[in-house]
Amino acid sequence: MIVEMCRVRIMGERDALPHVIESLQDIGLLHLATPPQSDALMTYKLDERQERHRRYLRRAIQEVDYCVEELHIGQTQPQAEYAKCTLSDLSRWACLARRVSREVGRLKSTTAELEEERALILKYRSFLSGFEAVLAGDIKWSTAAVYTVMLQGEGADPVGKVREGLETAIGDRFELRSRVLPSGGTALLLIAPASTATEVERVLAEARVEDIPVPVSFGAVSLAPAAPRMLGRLSEIPAELAKVAEDRAELTRRYGSELLRARACIHDRLDELEAQPLSGVTRRAFVVEGWLPVAQRAEFNERLGDACGEALMVSERSEEEWEDDEAPVVLHNPRVFRPFEAVGSLLPLPRYGTIDPTPYVALFFPLFFGIMLGDVGYGIVFAALSYGLMRRSRHGSTLRQIALVGIACAVLSTFFGVLFGEFFGDLGHRWFDMPVVLFDRAEALQSMLIIAIGIGYVHILLGLGLGVRVARHHRRQAIGRGAMAVCVGLVPVTLLSMLRVIPAGVFVPSWVALGISVGILITAEGLIGLIELLSALGNVLSYARLMAIGTASVMLATVANEMSTLVPVAFLGTLIAVLFHGVNFILGLFAPTIHALRLHYVEFFGKFYSSGGKPYRPFAHWGSSYQPTA
Amino acid sequence: METLLVAIGAGLAVGLPALATGWAQSKIGSAGAASLAEKPELTSTIIIMLAIPETMVILGFVVAILILR
Repeated sequence: MIVEMCRVRIMGERDALPHVIESLQDIGLLHLATPPQSDALMTYKLDERQERHRRYLRRAIQEVDYCVEELHIGQTQPQAEYAKCTLSDLSRWACLARRVSREVGRLKSTTAELEEERALILKYRSFLSGFEAVLAGDIKWSTAAVYTVMLQGEGADPVGKVREGLETAIGDRFELRSRVLPSGGTALLLIAPASTATEVERVLAEARVEDIPVPVSFGAVSLAPAAPRMLGRLSEIPAELAKVAEDRAELTRRYGSELLRARACIHDRLDELEAQPLSGVTRRAFVVEGWLPVAQRAEFNERLGDACGEALMVSERSEEEWEDDEAPVVLHNPRVFRPFEAVGSLLPLPRYGTIDPTPYVALFFPLFFGIMLGDVGYGIVFAALSYGLMRRSRHGSTLRQIALVGIACAVLSTFFGVLFGEFFGDLGHRWFDMPVVLFDRAEALQSMLIIAIGIGYVHILLGLGLGVRVARHHRRQAIGRGAMAVCVGLVPVTLLSMLRVIPAGVFVPSWVALGISVGILITAEGLIGLIELLSALGNVLSYARLMAIGTASVMLATVANEMSTLVPVAFLGTLIAVLFHGVNFILGLFAPTIHALRLHYVEFFGKFYSSGGKPYRPFAHWGSSYQPTA
Repeated sequence: METLLVAIGAGLAVGLPALATGWAQSKIGSAGAASLAEKPELTSTIIIMLAIPETMVILGFVVAILILR
């Protein structure tokens, strides 16, 4: 459910504003809002000294955040607890952050240069080692020039074309060697008389060759003198990289906890400064407004009174003075439903004053999943995997929530597996004559279809009912949605009475009621209402996927079992069956999840869900998280 | 002859929507993958978009069952 909020106004003497803001941050319950504009009330502006301090802290926090991120401090060390800090602490941390960020930047660029150098040498290693002797001898030749270039091959035999060009230009007075590189392209080594340099360079330019680069650390030299040293560098680079990593680890060890403390305190101080302009002031007084959960109003008043004394006036603004859209949203559900908030979290938050769908998702999501997978064997395997994930995940993390949702889905899959008599398809029936409690899904397709459509009707009608509740403040809209719900409910009654499945006497009254409901619907919502009615009826048919996905799953499992019996060697047959069941199990997890999500997001939520809620972010100390209470 | 026609009808009822679904999903999938590279927060929307055309083949499957019955 969406936690009920109230809007409070705090007024006091202007001089007390900084202390009040500090106390509000300590309390950590008020989501600050801008007070309504009026002629008497001005927006608070930071003075020049505060503004300068804010800019100073903003620069410092950028450097601290950079250090923490680059040194991965947050992942290796616990977050700093909140502690008061002084101005001298802040300037000491700003200096520290500047020094450490400079050092981190130097280590980062050294690492990048070393990695680049290694990649470059590895790329040309086969070329360099193949022609090491020739390249090393380059400097001894006074009448010959050595060219080491890279040829990106286009068309057939690009090296042959270069050779032809050279023969045409300078005859046979050259030596050309090539080596195809594993990363693509061909490295060329060309030795030709120095007197033919102009012709050779023209031919190479026409072939669009590129110079083989030399790592920056070797300075501005050509490849030939650098080549012998480059291969030697390959063994030196890992040691240099290890030294850089050691230096980084040393920085983390020495300054990690100090930087985390600095980050928490500077963020706190910045938030405090930046919160002040959210208040309204007169010459002598200030006004601060904000939102907090109704359930914590008393606690808030008490703590604020303790911190600031009786000089403050705290009042609650009546609901008529604010719109639902302005209020922030925080969800709070019973413990058993809470993991299913993860399913809804893929969509934007619901607007304040509407409905949190989590309890309905908690009911229907595992049900849909269970009906589609519906196999004892797969259910047990899925439960074991989900349990393993739960054990490995942190309490309260998204992974833990997913694991708990998985366990709920696995339990329902096992339950429906018992009803359908399925254990890895028909393996249960083959091995230990597993009984079918409800019906065999592979055979009773029509029964399964009727059940799926029936569940769809209930789900859609529930969605329409919730839609009426959401629209309760807008009379016309509420009547329209109500009429649509009645129409959707009456259509099957009319059809069933027409087909004599239910007493024929119902036909005329239901037909009349349907006609009246359609009339009300068109009056309230216009012709678009009629189109929406047809769309809602179409949505009901969409629940046929509960049957279709389930049938596909059981058929694939049966095929896996059949395949294993066709192979004469028992071991091979078992291997094939395990492989097929593995594939079917993975499909059996993905398809029901996606289709259960789709049935919720498109068919169900479309009837009542209104997104666009602003998340509730209480003004609190950095890193603290709000836990809603009932 | 009648059995043959019923089988062909059921096959077409599933096959044609399956082709249409595949074609629609190929378009949505490629556009979705491109969007995800720039905006990973669209994941849920793209999953839903991708699952929407599957209604065609599911309803085709239902029709095929009704034909075969």
